[in-house]
Amino acid sequence: MQGVVKRYGNAVALDYVDLAIYEGEIVGLLGPNGAGKTTLIQTMTGMVPIERGTIKLFGQSNNPFTHANKEKLGLVTQEITVYDELTAKENLQFFAGVYGLKGSERKERVQEALAFVGLAEYADKVPTKFSGGMKRRLNIACALTHRPKLLIMDEPTVGIDPQSRNHILESVKKLQEQGTTILYTTHYMEEVQEIASRVVIMDQGQMIKGGTVDQLIQSIQHEERIHIDVADTSLLPVEQLQSIAGVMHVDVAGTRVTVISTAGSGNVDRILSLVKEYTGVLGIQTENPDLEDVFLTLTGKQLRDGGGEA
Amino acid sequence: MTVFRFVFLRSFRNTTNLIFLTLFPLVCIFMPQGDPWPVLPYGYQLFGVFLLFVSIRLASYIQVDRMSGVVKRLSIAPLSHASYLSQHLLAYLLIIMLQCVILVYGGVLYGQPLIQPFLLLILYISYSLAALAIALAWITLFRNKELAFFGFMSFVFLVSVLGGIIVPVSMFPEWLARIAVLFPTYWLAEGQLWIVYGNELGDFLFVNVVLWLYALVFMIIGSTRKLR
Ligand SMILES: Nc1ncnc2c1ncn2[C@@H]1O[C@H](COP(=O)(O)OP(=O)(O)OP(=O)(O)O)[C@@H](O)[C@H]1O
Ligand SMILES: [Mg+2]
Repeated sequence: MQGVVKRYGNAVALDYVDLAIYEGEIVGLLGPNGAGKTTLIQTMTGMVPIERGTIKLFGQSNNPFTHANKEKLGLVTQEITVYDELTAKENLQFFAGVYGLKGSERKERVQEALAFVGLAEYADKVPTKFSGGMKRRLNIACALTHRPKLLIMDEPTVGIDPQSRNHILESVKKLQEQGTTILYTTHYMEEVQEIASRVVIMDQGQMIKGGTVDQLIQSIQHEERIHIDVADTSLLPVEQLQSIAGVMHVDVAGTRVTVISTAGSGNVDRILSLVKEYTGVLGIQTENPDLEDVFLTLTGKQLRDGGGEA
Repeated sequence: MTVFRFVFLRSFRNTTNLIFLTLFPLVCIFMPQGDPWPVLPYGYQLFGVFLLFVSIRLASYIQVDRMSGVVKRLSIAPLSHASYLSQHLLAYLLIIMLQCVILVYGGVLYGQPLIQPFLLLILYISYSLAALAIALAWITLFRNKELAFFGFMSFVFLVSVLGGIIVPVSMFPEWLARIAVLFPTYWLAEGQLWIVYGNELGDFLFVNVVLWLYALVFMIIGSTRKLR
């Protein structure tokens, strides 16, 4: 997609967004709440119309949403969109049928999808009896029976247990090995770090940065993260800390203050002595940056917990 | 026709629905004849009100699909919205037609004086089309299934009373009788009156055409007003 703009009333949900996805990749799309991730997906699948820009799907840009192209597309929605009255198996039969699968082929694909997400034993149970993680897995399976070439997953691991999450991440990797191209949207850095071949970061309707995980971390290699455990965080001189030259971000959580600063600027000592003036220091630790810091530096926001302002 | 098949499955999966859809027409068959009104046994009158409920109950599956995001999800599948909608409506129509057949021919077997059962069946089917279309248009007004249903209850009550299904229109004051013409229930009652007393087939046809017009208008409203 290129130069895509999407507004809701006066609010700009996508602001001249460019994104290319190549065959065989897992692209991790990262962004805080309201960044426009879901909107991006909805525009690139033709679910909602766009104001400007072009969308090219499987090489077609004039009329990208033909039935032939739609058959190659799979979407795991952010909300769980399965039928509560139907069993897991029936849900899959339904979606398979909508994609034109019939007879024994459909039967096979349904079994395959059930096994793939680890729900084979629950084939004849209705989703209302499922745990959150099982529902998520069923929601994923519904997008798989027709073996899409491009699979789009909108926060498939939100609010689920670690076991289900691992299962899902494993599945995504397996799908890629089988030749599926995947766009994977999430709030969770670890997930992207684990599976994505490439990452794009988005905030407030704009693409902020893209590249491999390593490239992104390299781009802020000149930064370091300083954790200081203190006796009383309420006494911290946060504003003074922020005003130190080279300090990019200050974050307080629990008994710990985390400062991101230019590496080698001697700031560690400066920060430490400043903090000591106000409260007792219990411990200090410095770290090289990870993807989380890339995000923090670029957007000034924490990815999780609703993305608190810096 | 996957959608079509699964509409049946969903509609009959719910036990309340199943009882609601099969038991009521059966009960209607055995209701007694009123004297001097209504012209057909009570059950055949009441069935008109009931059909409105069945319509909203069935149409609410479409509403649930819209709210839950299923419709959006299907919008990226190789399935047009028109196809989605028409397969639903076709399935619903078949379910309702089955109920009409049960009511009319069950009545014939039981010995109810239905005069012209086949034309009565036609009348019910025309009326069902209108009821289904109204329900379809109705659900586009609400974002909440319960709200839509309870709103519809009051609407049905109003339409039933004012349309001459619960009280004969002939007992209405002049101005109210004129308003009654606006409701599909009025035309159902008119049609039934014809079945008992009428002889010009053209008059009966007219009643049906009015009901088809209802169906057409509300079908257009209901299918073009997409949410979001
Ligand atoms: N249907 C809509 N009507 C009006 N505004 C909308 C609509 N959908 C999204 N928005 C707005 O567009 C912006 C982007 O929303 P979007 O859902 O794409 O974000 P997101 O990155 O998917 O967030 P989340 O992580 O919470 O899912 C938000 O400000 C949101 O309020
Ligand atoms: Mg979203």
